[in-house]
Amino acid sequence: MNQSRHPKPAGRHPKPAGTTSTDRTADRTPRRDATSTSSASSSSASSSTTATATRTPTRVTGGALAANDLTKDYGDRPALAPLTLLVPVGQRVAVVGHNGSGKTTLIRMAAGLLDPSGGTVHVMGHASGTPDARAALAYLSDTPSFYDDLSLWEHLEYVARLHGVDEWDQVAADLLGHLGLYERADDLPNTFSRGLRQKAAIALAFVRPFEVLLVDEPFVGLDSSGKAALLELLDQAEEDGATLIVATHELGYVDKVSRLIALRDGELVHDGSPTDANVADLVIPG
Amino acid sequence: MDIALTAPTDTAEHHVPASIGHDALGDLRKARRKNRLAELDWFEAAYRVYLVAIGFGGTALWASSFIKDSKVAPGTVGDIYHYGPAVLGMLAVAAFAAGVRSGARGGPLAIEDADVRHVLLSPVDRRKALLRPAFQRARSSASMGTLVGGLAGQLAGHRLPGSDASWVFSGAAFGLSLALLFVGAALVAHAIHVPRWFASGVGAALIAWQTVAIVQHLPGPGNAYGSLALWGMRQRVLDLAGPLVSVALVVAGLMMLRRTSLDALARRSGLVAQLRFAVTMQDLRTVVLLRRQLSQENTRSRPWIQLRRNGGSAVIWRRGWHSLLRFPVSRLLRMALLAIGAAACQLAAFRGTTAMFLLSGALLFLLGMEALEPLSQEIDQPDRMSSLPHKRGDLLVRHLLVPAVALIPFAAIGVATIAVLDGTSGAIAVAAILALPTVWMGAAGAAVSIVKDAPDLGSVTAEQTMLPPEMSGLTTILRTLLPLIVSVLGSVGVLLVRGAHTLGQPTVQAAIRASIGELLLVALTAQWVRKRDDWKLKFKSIMAEGRDVTAQQKAQRAGSSRSTS
Repeated sequence: MNQSRHPKPAGRHPKPAGTTSTDRTADRTPRRDATSTSSASSSSASSSTTATATRTPTRVTGGALAANDLTKDYGDRPALAPLTLLVPVGQRVAVVGHNGSGKTTLIRMAAGLLDPSGGTVHVMGHASGTPDARAALAYLSDTPSFYDDLSLWEHLEYVARLHGVDEWDQVAADLLGHLGLYERADDLPNTFSRGLRQKAAIALAFVRPFEVLLVDEPFVGLDSSGKAALLELLDQAEEDGATLIVATHELGYVDKVSRLIALRDGELVHDGSPTDANVADLVIPG
Repeated sequence: MDIALTAPTDTAEHHVPASIGHDALGDLRKARRKNRLAELDWFEAAYRVYLVAIGFGGTALWASSFIKDSKVAPGTVGDIYHYGPAVLGMLAVAAFAAGVRSGARGGPLAIEDADVRHVLLSPVDRRKALLRPAFQRARSSASMGTLVGGLAGQLAGHRLPGSDASWVFSGAAFGLSLALLFVGAALVAHAIHVPRWFASGVGAALIAWQTVAIVQHLPGPGNAYGSLALWGMRQRVLDLAGPLVSVALVVAGLMMLRRTSLDALARRSGLVAQLRFAVTMQDLRTVVLLRRQLSQENTRSRPWIQLRRNGGSAVIWRRGWHSLLRFPVSRLLRMALLAIGAAACQLAAFRGTTAMFLLSGALLFLLGMEALEPLSQEIDQPDRMSSLPHKRGDLLVRHLLVPAVALIPFAAIGVATIAVLDGTSGAIAVAAILALPTVWMGAAGAAVSIVKDAPDLGSVTAEQTMLPPEMSGLTTILRTLLPLIVSVLGSVGVLLVRGAHTLGQPTVQAAIRASIGELLLVALTAQWVRKRDDWKLKFKSIMAEGRDVTAQQKAQRAGSSRSTS
């Protein structure tokens, strides 16, 4: 830790892009192209159809995210019926459903934060929770969590370095500038408002490298500029070849994805193109 | 936008190096320690140490008052030789069972949510990340075990043969071994994902085995530990097996930290922080609720029996039963165990171990806290209750009826326990007379604890804010202890019966007199629940009137002094 609390960040942290002449050398190498994935994953993108058609009894492998008979129940209450799902590399997916439909359960199991009651999840071919899966996957939660005793800048440093990134400070400064948080870099994120906490969490999710990004209700608490900033970051990550899986109630976001997954009472009710379905109908409780 | 996001490692082609993030993890901890120390209020920390020292000192003195200084008779020493290892071994078995149960429910570690999200979701080796919190958990348990064990050993040394130092050492070793046994068992049970039903089964089986060992003088699973506690008067190399098993379990648990469930850690992280806060605030109700969440003790979606809808007057009756009928089996079993434990303590108090009546009262207080769930739920929703067109006291007192009826079977369990443990018709008759009033008094203390946490109908009164700090501290202590005192009062009946027995008077009549007194106290508590708001409002108005009169008198005096001058 080489930061002190004072003076102001502008004096110590790199400036965001556009405000400094710092020459960035850490170019983001494009990730593997979607076309370079296994046949199973590439076929899945094109053959997105309804739930009954895509749920096959065979085991799915490869791709960015592969769930096989993934299920979760809380005591006597099933939260997710057995789900088999393959998300190819580079795909942008929206997961929609009413409250309690199983979106967060699915996302948290994929992130390794929730133990499945049955079935398996693989991330980039690695079992969920293994070091390789954790290195590949970033998770942006709707309930951000921060240390009480670290500033936002310190958070960014550690999250980046815990993922093996040494040249992190310029990216961190750029992210903070983009999200309008640069002036708050030395403040404790636990003292932020709901929206600022969410922005800080976004910065933490993007300061580290990832191949798959899982996002749970990312727009909650964000103002319009925050939403726009997040959408730009998601667009750039997609351009760079990352796989994006976003659980959301924001139906407007569905227009930006190539694949829509809808859950109702823990059951998969739609898996295909967003143009194939009336999205508003899919989020009505059964 | 022009941000060069960091390029990822292609994990499909290259595995993450095992040492990734190790330096960052070390730096993170150093930075956090430095920031915490910078924020630390040293005076506050010293004050806490002072309070802890006072607390332990007071406990030691209080416990010493129950121990006579004269040495026990040789016959008693012989009994301790023969039965001590098995009886004390039960504590070791209980520690192991509790550890396995804790591990099966996601324990014993509880780390910050931010650690779960940022450290454990990163590719850093989880064993390395969790080694320190696990070690700290073992260390804090070991310290507490050693301290309590050493204190118990010191007290035992007063009455048993052997030097005080050797008793302190053996007590500390026993406490340390038990603490490590608990932590080690929990770590291993967590790592190997022991199912909860299996953990409960193993615990029950071991406790049953140890019980048989006590009764039949057979070797029990905890005997080596129990024997270690007696090193103050005899030493056997074989007894070292206990501590070795404890250490081996802890080491095995630390080796298997990579298998720790992130699900359990994520769930426990927030709950443990809230639990600590609730304990700090002496908020017993929140502690009970959080404990249930921590052990994943969920209420049943549907009650065991669905009651039919009746008229409007029976709505509270039906609501109360549906609350209790949603209790899971584990909670009902726990309530039964509390009733059995309280009955056993009452018997022990009758037979001469006076202090056991305190434990009996405490156990019945806990039983009452469980049974008064419908009342607690209403207190937890103050806005809803205040929106009803009824006086709060009238509603609250009606919520006491169902728990009072529901406690009758548990009183019967207590009588059955006495019948099994004693078996004489006199003891059973006394138990039958005393059981229900005593159980209700336990619940009365719990009711006081629950209702006193209800928000005041008025604002914070001037009377409270005008109290000097010393008085408000005393008030806080009284408010905290009063419920327990009420519950313990219910267990005093057995001492009255014992007194009558000692004097050669009929015990049944003494039991009747004691139970009448207890029933009067129960009725008084119910009346307090009903009239508390009225009494508080009346007290406030009296105080306000008094202030007005004082103000008028001051004004008159000021007026007369001006006219005189």
